Amino acid sequence: MVDYACKKCKYISHESVVCKNCGSSDLTKEWYGYVVIIDPEKSQIAEKLGVKIPGKYAIKVD
Amino acid sequence: MSRFFLLKTTANQEKVVANLMEMVIKKYQLPVYAIMSPKEVKGYIFVEAENVEDVLKAIRGVPHVKGLVKGEVGFHEIEHFLVPRKAAEQIKEGYKVEIISGPFKGEISVVKRVDETKNEITVELIDAVVPIPITVKADHVRIIDKSEEV
Repeated sequence: MVDYACKKCKYISHESVVCKNCGSSDLTKEWYGYVVIIDPEKSQIAEKLGVKIPGKYAIKVD
Repeated sequence: MSRFFLLKTTANQEKVVANLMEMVIKKYQLPVYAIMSPKEVKGYIFVEAENVEDVLKAIRGVPHVKGLVKGEVGFHEIEHFLVPRKAAEQIKEGYKVEIISGPFKGEISVVKRVDETKNEITVELIDAVVPIPITVKADHVRIIDKSEEV
């Protein structure tokens, strides 16, 4: 039960070898901070993070 | 315009609470836009929503939620969590730090060199008889004294 964050888009994929958002295979277990974006159009947090697709994201990826 | 609210949760259950809240929000189509759990803040999560009533609806029946903190949080107060600074940028030579992971976990040491590009610091253990420099990731230490004494 490990969640991986994509090093490119910070999207968190559950038990996956490729990022379900951008398709990158550059994933890491070393990520910190957790953000759930539900409505990226109205969310200021999503705007600040540059997120346009709803989902779970890490704030920091090592 | 969205507003920000602070929820108190059980420590280390922030992610669980955020996931459960997301399910409730989607189920009832609540105007809650985002949930944030920064690493720096244990036992609390920030919720971005249209109004406080929607946040209360979103936490109804969700375990590990201890309550809603009175009042609102300004976006400027949480903005800095979203643009993380490298841990090494906050550490300076001479700082006293505690190593929090790895084989030297729990050891107190003094910072001798900071490499911001690699996000690494070189420290010397205080309790060691012979000072041996050890290079560790800056994220793996906790600052305990910023007095910069060497």
